[in-house]
Amino acid sequence: MTTAVDIRDVTKIYSPDSSQAVTALENISLTINDNEFFTLLGPSGCGKTTLLRLIAGFEQVSGGEIMLFDKEIENLEPNRRSVNTVFQHYALFPHMTVADNVAFGLERLKKPKAEIKATVERVLTLVKMKELGDRRPNQLSGGQQQRVALARALAPSPKVLLLDEPLSALDLKLRQAMREELKQLQRETGITFVFVTHDQEEALAMSDRIAVMSNGEIQQIGRPTDIYEHPANRFVADFIGDTNFMDGEIVNLSDDLVTCRIGAQSLFETENSGHHKVGDQVTLSLRPEKIMLSVLEGNNDTNQRPGKVTNLIYLGNQAAYSVDMGDGIQLTAQARPREDGELPFAIGDSIAVSFSTRAMRVLAE
Amino acid sequence: MSDWLPKSQAGRRWLGLAPSYIVIGIFMLIPMVIMAVFSFLEPNPYGGVKPVGSWAAYIKIAFEYDLEDKLVFNPGYLNIIWRSFQLSFGATLLCLIFGFPVAYYITLQPENRRNFYIYLVTIPFWTNLLIRTFAWIIILGRGGVIEAPLLATGIIDDSLRMMYTDGAIAIGLTYSYLPLMVLPIYASLEKLDFRLLDAASDLYANRLEIMTKVVIPLCKPGIIAGCILVFIPCVGAFIAPNLLGGGKKLMLGSLVQFQFASARNWPFGGALSMLLLSVVVIALIFYARAAKNRAALEGSA
Repeated sequence: MTTAVDIRDVTKIYSPDSSQAVTALENISLTINDNEFFTLLGPSGCGKTTLLRLIAGFEQVSGGEIMLFDKEIENLEPNRRSVNTVFQHYALFPHMTVADNVAFGLERLKKPKAEIKATVERVLTLVKMKELGDRRPNQLSGGQQQRVALARALAPSPKVLLLDEPLSALDLKLRQAMREELKQLQRETGITFVFVTHDQEEALAMSDRIAVMSNGEIQQIGRPTDIYEHPANRFVADFIGDTNFMDGEIVNLSDDLVTCRIGAQSLFETENSGHHKVGDQVTLSLRPEKIMLSVLEGNNDTNQRPGKVTNLIYLGNQAAYSVDMGDGIQLTAQARPREDGELPFAIGDSIAVSFSTRAMRVLAE
Repeated sequence: MSDWLPKSQAGRRWLGLAPSYIVIGIFMLIPMVIMAVFSFLEPNPYGGVKPVGSWAAYIKIAFEYDLEDKLVFNPGYLNIIWRSFQLSFGATLLCLIFGFPVAYYITLQPENRRNFYIYLVTIPFWTNLLIRTFAWIIILGRGGVIEAPLLATGIIDDSLRMMYTDGAIAIGLTYSYLPLMVLPIYASLEKLDFRLLDAASDLYANRLEIMTKVVIPLCKPGIIAGCILVFIPCVGAFIAPNLLGGGKKLMLGSLVQFQFASARNWPFGGALSMLLLSVVVIALIFYARAAKNRAALEGSA
C-alpha cells in the first residue's frame, strides 16, 4: 500500500516567541494511504484544520516533517504542492464565472487550451454543474457553490484532495446527499481524500479510516467501526455517538471476564481486554442501543437487572429512555416503537434491563 | 400627525429630503450656475462681468483674432489643457504605484493597528496644502535637502535643477493627492476575502498571478475611484504648478486662477472651468456605465 501523506512528529506552535504562544498540534504522527478516504475528526480547536493547512502549505510546521508520496514538502509553497483544497466557505473567485473558477488551476499549470476546456467540462459534469458554467458564484445556491468548489479542486487532478468541513454550511438534507456523493466521487476518482469535520456522523458515514483529535493530539486512529465499537478512551467514546459512562473499580479478573463494581454493590461483567488488574479505577462505556429493555419477569442473569423508567424522549423511529437502576446508576437506553406505533414503556414503568458482556467497554483513562 | 405636514406621500418624501436639496443647491448648484452664466458674458476690464451675452470666452479657448480681425486657430490654450491632462495622468499613475502597496500593507496589519495607519495617511490633510507644497521647495530646491548633502560630499558639483520642472510638478501633485488614492483602495482591499488568496495559491498561482488574477480585479472599483479622486483635482490644481513649476509653463488650474486674479477675464476662466467640468462628467458617466455593466454581470444588483 502506498503512503500518500506521512506526518511525522509534527508540532505546530503559533507565535512561538511571544508570551501568547499557542500549541495547536503536538507530536502528531499518522500516515494516510493512497486511495484512502481519511477523516480528521474532532471538536473545534482540536487542531484538525491546522493539520490540513500544514499539508496544503498555508502554514509551516514548527517541528517534525510532512512527506507527500515520500517527498519532503516543507519548503514548497502551496502552489508547488500537488494537493488541492475544498475550503470551508468555498472561497470561489467572485469575479469569475463557474467555468473560469474551475479552469483557474489548470491555467496556472499552463495546460493546453483544448485540454482545459475538456477537463472543465468533465469535472463540471462529474459534480452535476455542467449547465451552470456561465454563472457567477453569487448566482448559485450554497449547495451549487459547494459543487463548484469541489470541481475546482478536482480539475487539476491532485494527488491528494483536502476538504475543510466542506459540508458544514449546507442544510441537513443536502449534507446527507453530499455525503454519499463525496464518497462515490472518491471511489470513482481514486484520489486520496483528507476530510476535516467535527461531525462524527459524517466521519462514520464516509471514511475508510478516522483520526479522532482533541487538544492538538491524536486520540485514536482506526476504521469507523473500531472507533465506534472500541473507543480508546473516554474522550473518543463520548465524542463518537451517545454512550453511558459509569465509574467503577475492577474487583475480579478471570481469563475472559472482568468484573467491575459500580456504585456500592452493583457488579457488572465485561470482556477482559487484558490491560487491567484488580483494584484499577476504570470508566465503563455502554452504548444505549446495546441495552435491551424488556418487561420485568424476575430473571436473575448477572447483566439483567430491574430498573425504572424516569424519562423518555420520542424520536420517531425510536425512543430514548432514561432508566434508574438504583445504586446511583442512571442509564440511557433505546427502544423501538411497537408495530402499532405506540411506545413499549411509559415513565414510571418497572422494566428489565439487559446487555451482553461484550457490549460494555472498559476505557483507558 | 401635525396639520402642517404635506398630505401626499410624495410631498412628505420631498420634505424629508429638503435639507439635502438645500445643501446641494446652495453649495453646488448655485455656484455652478453662476459660473456657467458668467462664461457666456463679456468680461469687465476691472473684474467681474458685463451683462452682455457672448460666445467670446469659448471661442478664445481655441482661436484668436489676428491683426485683420479674422479668427485663426491658436493651440496655445489647448496645449496647456493637453499638458495638464498629461501631467495629471502621470501624477495619478505615480499615486497608484505608491498608493496601492501602502493600502495593501495596511490591509495586512492586525485589525487594531489598521485604523492607526489610516490615521497616519490622513495627517498631511491637517496642514495647509500651500505650506506643505512650500516644503517641497526646500526639499527639491537649489542647495535644498536633497542637493546640499550631495554637493557637500562632492557627488555632484552643480545644482540638479529639480525645481521648476514638470517632474517637480508631478512630484508635488503626487504628494498632495496620494491619500486620496490610498483611502479608496484600502476601503476595497479591506473587504477582500483573504481566503481567496489561499485558494489561488492552492490552485498553483504564484505571487504575481495572485496579484494580477485575484487581488487587483477584485479591488478594481477602489483603484478606479482612487484614480478619479486623484486625477480630477490634479487637472484643476494650481498650487503645485505655480510653486514647483514656477508658473513658467501654465497648467489648466493655474490658467483658470490667473483669469480670475490678474487677467480679470472671468468669462474665460468660467469657460475653461466648464470645459474641465464636462470632460470630468463625461469620464464619470463612462465609469458609471462600466461599473453598472459589471454589477449586472456579477449579478449583484
